[in-house]
Amino acid sequence: MNLKKTVLIASSMAILSAMATTASADGASLYQAKTCWACHGKDAQTPILPIYPKLAGQNKEYALAQMKDIKSGVRSNGQAAAMQGVMGLVNEAEMAEIAEWLSSLK
Amino acid sequence: MKKITVIAAGVAMIGMSVGSTASASGQVTDVKDWNTGEGEQSVAMTLTPDRENGIEVYEVCSACHLLEGWGMQNGTFPQLAGQHRNVLIKQLADIRALNRDNPTMYPFALPESIGDEQAIADVTAYIAALPMNPDNGKGDGTNLARGEELYKKNCPQCHGDNGEGNQEKFYPKIQGQHYAYMLRQFEWIRDGKRRNANPDMVKQIAEFSNDDMRAVIDYTSRIAVPAANLGPIGWQNPDYD
Repeated sequence: MNLKKTVLIASSMAILSAMATTASADGASLYQAKTCWACHGKDAQTPILPIYPKLAGQNKEYALAQMKDIKSGVRSNGQAAAMQGVMGLVNEAEMAEIAEWLSSLK
Repeated sequence: MKKITVIAAGVAMIGMSVGSTASASGQVTDVKDWNTGEGEQSVAMTLTPDRENGIEVYEVCSACHLLEGWGMQNGTFPQLAGQHRNVLIKQLADIRALNRDNPTMYPFALPESIGDEQAIADVTAYIAALPMNPDNGKGDGTNLARGEELYKKNCPQCHGDNGEGNQEKFYPKIQGQHYAYMLRQFEWIRDGKRRNANPDMVKQIAEFSNDDMRAVIDYTSRIAVPAANLGPIGWQNPDYD
């Protein structure tokens, strides 16, 4: 009985963690779901305005740092105001996934 | 050739928008100036909307407001579906004329993103006819009696007994709107941040405490939308693949 329960719990935990990994690993869908692509372009290199940056191929450390600073308000120059309003949609783990994915683009 | 004309018109309109910034930078303080109805707002209202073009134009908007026009429950983006067309026209025209500060939406409201007055006429007619979200974001429900009392005392004169607003007078429909979005706008209107607000409303709500504000918005977020205006739960807009 106990063993059965343990196996059940262990296997559901494995499934759950696999699901979590799949979800969090998908920077591409986060990039769309969190509306990043509305401004930066579906391919992350055709922003809607020339004063918005291309993001494809950006260093992930840099991209993550800018996202965090814009969300917290530490960075408020340039077009940060346009982006800060949507940053409530992303947590730090999601930002990291998006940054990772962006850095993988050419 | 047609495209060049459109681009030229777009550039001219950007020029006008930028030009009007200086003169329109302040808060509207007199109710007669709240809705002057000039320029493209009144032009758009006279044009016959084209549904197919409305669908095409709305695709830009859908990146944030979603294909269904239902916005986000957490209030980051408002529901647009079912809103009065005149309200949509006014807000879009105000945002692109920089009479309402919305840096996130501003580039999408520009003529080169969505088009001219005809595009405004088309997209707003399309949005106004979309079925509404059956599951909008709501408050925590802890102070609803106070919220109801405040609503009945302050809001029906313009927004109606059931938050239905008024198409003819440009008063927005607020029933079914997401709580967090309404709360943010209400606060901005109270505190003078929403520059195109109706000055009568600014005066009316000046003394609202933060608790009263949350209570009345929570109550408003729970006003039932007529069933005929609602989409089914999980509805997906069939106009897009």
